[in-house]
Formats: sequence, structure tokens, C-alpha cells
Amino acid sequence: MDKNGVVIIGAGPAGLTAAYELVLEGLRPTLLEKSQKPGGIARTEVYKGYGFDMGGHRFFTKIEKINQLWREMLGQDFVKVGRISRIYYRGRFFKYPLSLSNALVNLGIIESTIIFASYLHSRIRPFAREENFEQWVSNRFGHRLFNVFFKTYTEKVWGIPCREIRSDWAAQRIKGLSLMVAVVNALIHNQKAKTLIEEFFYPVKGPGMMWDRFVKAIDNKGGEILFQSEITAIRHENNHLKSITYLGHGEEIERPLDHLISSMPLPRLISILEPAPPKEVMEAAQKLSFRSFILVGLIIDKPALFPDQWIYIHNPDVKVGRIQNFKNWSAAMVPEEGKTSVGMEYFCTENDHLWTLPDAALTTLAAQELSELGLASESHVVDAVVFRQPKAYPVYDHDYDLNLGIIKQYLASFDNLQSIGRNGMHRYNNMDHSMETGRLAARNILGEHHSLWEINEEDSYLEQEDGASVSSVLVGKIMKGAFARMDKIAFATATGSVLGILMFVATLWLVIKGGNAVGPNLRLLGEYFKGYTVTVRGAFLAFGYSFLWGFLFGWLFAYIRNLILAYSIYHLKKKAEAITLRDFFDQF
Amino acid sequence: MVPNSNREEKLFNDILWLNAKILGLVLGIIFGLVIFVATNWLVIKGGHRVGPHLSLLSQYFIGYRVSFFGSFIGFAYGFALGTLSGTLLGWIYNKIAALRNGKNNAKQ
Repeated sequence: MDKNGVVIIGAGPAGLTAAYELVLEGLRPTLLEKSQKPGGIARTEVYKGYGFDMGGHRFFTKIEKINQLWREMLGQDFVKVGRISRIYYRGRFFKYPLSLSNALVNLGIIESTIIFASYLHSRIRPFAREENFEQWVSNRFGHRLFNVFFKTYTEKVWGIPCREIRSDWAAQRIKGLSLMVAVVNALIHNQKAKTLIEEFFYPVKGPGMMWDRFVKAIDNKGGEILFQSEITAIRHENNHLKSITYLGHGEEIERPLDHLISSMPLPRLISILEPAPPKEVMEAAQKLSFRSFILVGLIIDKPALFPDQWIYIHNPDVKVGRIQNFKNWSAAMVPEEGKTSVGMEYFCTENDHLWTLPDAALTTLAAQELSELGLASESHVVDAVVFRQPKAYPVYDHDYDLNLGIIKQYLASFDNLQSIGRNGMHRYNNMDHSMETGRLAARNILGEHHSLWEINEEDSYLEQEDGASVSSVLVGKIMKGAFARMDKIAFATATGSVLGILMFVATLWLVIKGGNAVGPNLRLLGEYFKGYTVTVRGAFLAFGYSFLWGFLFGWLFAYIRNLILAYSIYHLKKKAEAITLRDFFDQF
Repeated sequence: MVPNSNREEKLFNDILWLNAKILGLVLGIIFGLVIFVATNWLVIKGGHRVGPHLSLLSQYFIGYRVSFFGSFIGFAYGFALGTLSGTLLGWIYNKIAALRNGKNNAKQ
């Protein structure tokens, strides 16, 4: 393979990781990035020395390889942040992760009673089928709590009614629901899971610091990164990509390639393939949709505003969805001690009303809403900046998996193309999962065989390469042994048989031994086993009676064991769901 | 790839298979210990006639007596009987469970 033959599209977390993995192996990939800075959706924008993180990215991962990579890049340039984030709803702050007592106190006795009644109702009469997000949440927490805590924010983020969001989106995002996780936590008290909620790491100057280090490392090791290079065409022949064309500084350049790793949004990738894919693939790609994101950065002339790193805004009467306070992520994000910077996050769709609002109007809106919420006065806003991020969230609408399936099948027909990252897979990957897809795509080029689509679908897959795999398999085996159902009839028959044989032999043994009085003590069994004597006939009777009693006790034992087990499973499942409720919005 | 929910569903629908050898060993140890402790308890208690009822075990366990030495013999017999019973119990259970739940579910 030509050392320069690998082309990577996109300098986001996934693309950078792929490039870095390749340069470590002596290859010299070319990375093409449309914008002028690395990081993609996870970039850090800088305005007058103020850092604005596009979305607020906590650094924690269960993927050891990615953790090592982060440490390798940033070393000690991480700060450990004690997490504070709350929900703002109806003029009150609710603790987050959610605390039942705090929520009930804030909501008041009447609302709390209604929520409790609604919860009971959902337990007694749940939705028979969980097809959408609303049904999914209502079945677990009650419809009233869904309306209070889930509906507004979820709809702000996705821009569609919760009834149109598929329930499997929730199931995919929320790993807390895995019974396996709950059991493991219960058995070995997984301190890591707890810590993830309460504290996290963050680069001193925001995630952009990480991506800059990647760029430097790739460059030092012979990789090439071309910013402001927009891909215009990818030519292929006989299921093999031949060349890529891009616009670089006003010039159109076509270059051959051996392998392509793409992190560009799937609809865009499909649209620039030449010759064009079949009609159904084109149509499927057009149907994939995304949510976009506007961050209005406000610089406030106050040294501190609130203690949270971010606040979820559940009020339906304001458009802002989340407010970041960057100084609380890392003090180095704000260059002036007496000032604070906040990021007002608006979720929207490209070209909708909000997206097309002029920057000045967005700034006014953000300042007004910050003031309306009582977090800072409009007069304290001394400067503002607007950043737009198109295609920030792949939407899991009703038909997305069908359309994605068609595209995946088509892309799989190419022998030298891999699609990675959040938009490259139309998958709601976190930063670490995206990076892992990039790393494994690079390993595939180096001769390994990894299925990228399985990442973030199956935790155990991510653990295959590290020591955790052993414990994971072990836990799986223990789980199987512990939770499998006991066959009542089989256990009853076995118990009856063994007891019957024992009594049969015990009687017969005394008969064979003989003597003046045969088995004076054993014959007392006749009190219970009618007709029993210590004779050959009695031995058969003993077998019959013992089998019967053994069968009954065996069956009862297995029944009670299965019943207790079923209750334990139910209890664990509820516990897992409670974990889900606690940090639900972290999944967005 | 099997989603979590399906995997869990499968897990709970699985049939429990008993490890006959381990079950035998466990029952053997329990039986042995019960006889060992029961015998020594009576020995320590002492009295005019030590363990008139427990000594009936000698009808089956040749050489057993309610004495400190006898407690070791009792342990050996109890262990043997428990091991045999436990192994048999596990073996019969697995056979019947395999018959009732089809070959696919048979013990791996």
C-alpha cells in the first residue's frame, strides 16, 4: 500500500484519531477539513480570548484506549471538575442529576401528588406498546413527570413532538437501562459509574486544546492536514474508490486514493459520489435529517453568575435550551477575572426561523432570555458573538433506521471506504465513541477487522481489546448462572428420585441385615407412610412415598427460587431505570 | 449484534443447568459436616449414655460410633452419601431439563 494513499475527510475527533493512528504506524494520510480549524462539532471557538465550547464536552470514557490517547495528548493539561448542573423550570432550580426529594419539594405537594398518582397509573395501565419516546418515558415514570421534566427539553432539542421520536433512541442512548450494568454495579459497586456523574475531566482551555495537539502530532509525524478544503467529488469504479476532488483555496484538485475514511454527513457523501448511487440510496440519504445548533456567547460584566457548569432550561416560554457557564468548566476559558462568559444554546434546524435570524437579533434574544430567567441583567452583557453549527445531531425519526440501512448496505459494497464519527454514521455517538470509530477504521486499513457499526451498540465490544473483556465474559457467565430459570419439573423429579432411592436402599439394607427385630426405628416411618414396613415390599412403598414428597418439596423449592429471582430482576430493572432518570439529559 | 433488551430476555428465558460435580461436592461437605458437628456436640455434652439415637446411624455407617473418632468416620460416610446424592440429583435434573427443553438448550 502507498504510504500516502489514505485520505480522511473531516478533522473532527473521529478523523483526527484515525489520522493519528495511521501516522503512528508510519503512514502519511491526508486529512481534508472543510473549515479552518479542527474539532468539528466538538471544537472550541475563541472570541477576544474567551473560549466557547460547542456544546460542553465532558471528558470521560470507558474505552481505555481513548482515555490513554487523551492523556497522551494533554498530559497534565486537564482540570478535574466537580459537576454542578441544574434544571430550571417554572422559576425554580432542580438538582441534577435528579433527586426525588428536591423535585418534590420544588414542585409542591399538589403537583407531587399528581405526579405520584400518574406514576401509579402508569404502573397499573402502561402503554401496551412502546413505539415512541413519550410512551417509553411515561411507562417508566408516569405521564405527568414526562410532561414536567422530559417533554419540553426533548422537544426543544429535537424540534419534533416526542410522539415522533422512536423509543429505541432512548434505549440506545441510555446505557443505565442495561440490566447487566445494574447487576454489575450492585455486585461490585462500580465506583467509576458514580464518579462519572459527579466529576469529570476537562482540558484547561477547552476541547479545542486537544484537537490542536492532535493536529501538531499528526503534522510532526508526517501526516498532512489541509484546512478549508471542501470535497466536491469522489469517483469510483467497480466498487472501488479511485479518486477524490476537493476545492482548496479556490483551486479544484483531484488526487488518487487507496483508502478513504469519511466523517462527513452521509447525505453529503452520497451526493458527491460519481457515478451517482442508485435512486433508492439517493432518496434514503435525502431523508436523513439533522438538528443544528446555535451558540450565542455572551460576555457578562460580573465575576460570577451561578455555580453550575450548565443549566437545562425546561421553561417552554423561552427558546434557549441550555446555558453553559464556561468559567465554571475551566477558569482559563475566561481571560478577564471580573467577567463571565455564558453560552446560550439554541437547538434548531438549518434554514429555519431561528437559524436565519441575523446575529444581532440572536444576541438580543439571548440577552433578553438570560434576563427573563433571572440569571443576569441585560445591562451586564458587554459583548456577544454567535456561532452556528449545522448538522449537530442526527435525528432518529420514524424511518431513519430503514434509510440508514439502505445507505449502509450500499456503502458496504465499496472495498476501500469506511464511514466514521457521529455524522459519518448518522449515529448519536459521544466524542469517545466517535474517536473509537476513527481508531478502528485506521486499524482496519492496517489489516485488522473491526465492525465499526457495532461501536456504541454493545459495550462489551468496546471492551474486547482490554482487560475488561475477561471480567465482562465472566460477569456474563455468572449472570447466566444466577438468573437462569430453574426447571421446576426437572428439579422436582430429581429430588424425588434421589430421596426415593435413598429410602429404598435404607429399607432394603436393614431387610438384608435381618435380625430379631428388623428396623425397629425405621419402621416408625409408617406413622407417615401408610402401610410402610421394613420389608422388600415396604422398600418399594418407601420409594413411592419418598419420591412423592421429594417431588413436592423439589417443585416448591424451584418455584420459590424462581419467584424470588423474578422479583430480584424486577427490582434491579427498576433500579436501572432510576439511574436513567437521574442523568437522563446528559444523554443529549 | 443482539440488543441489550433481547439479550436480557434471552438470559431470563434460559434454563438453569446444574453442575452435578459441584452440587455433589457441596452436598457431600454439608452432609459430612452435619454428622461431624452433630456427633461432637453430643460427645461434648456427655452424659450417662451418649447419643443413643444418633448411634443408630451405625446401622448404615459401619464402624460409626458417637465418639470423637466416630465423628471422623461419620464425616467420611456423610461426605460420600452427600456427594453421591448431589451428583445424582444434578445428573437427573440436567437429563430431564434437556429432554423437556430440547437439544438446543442442552448444557453447553
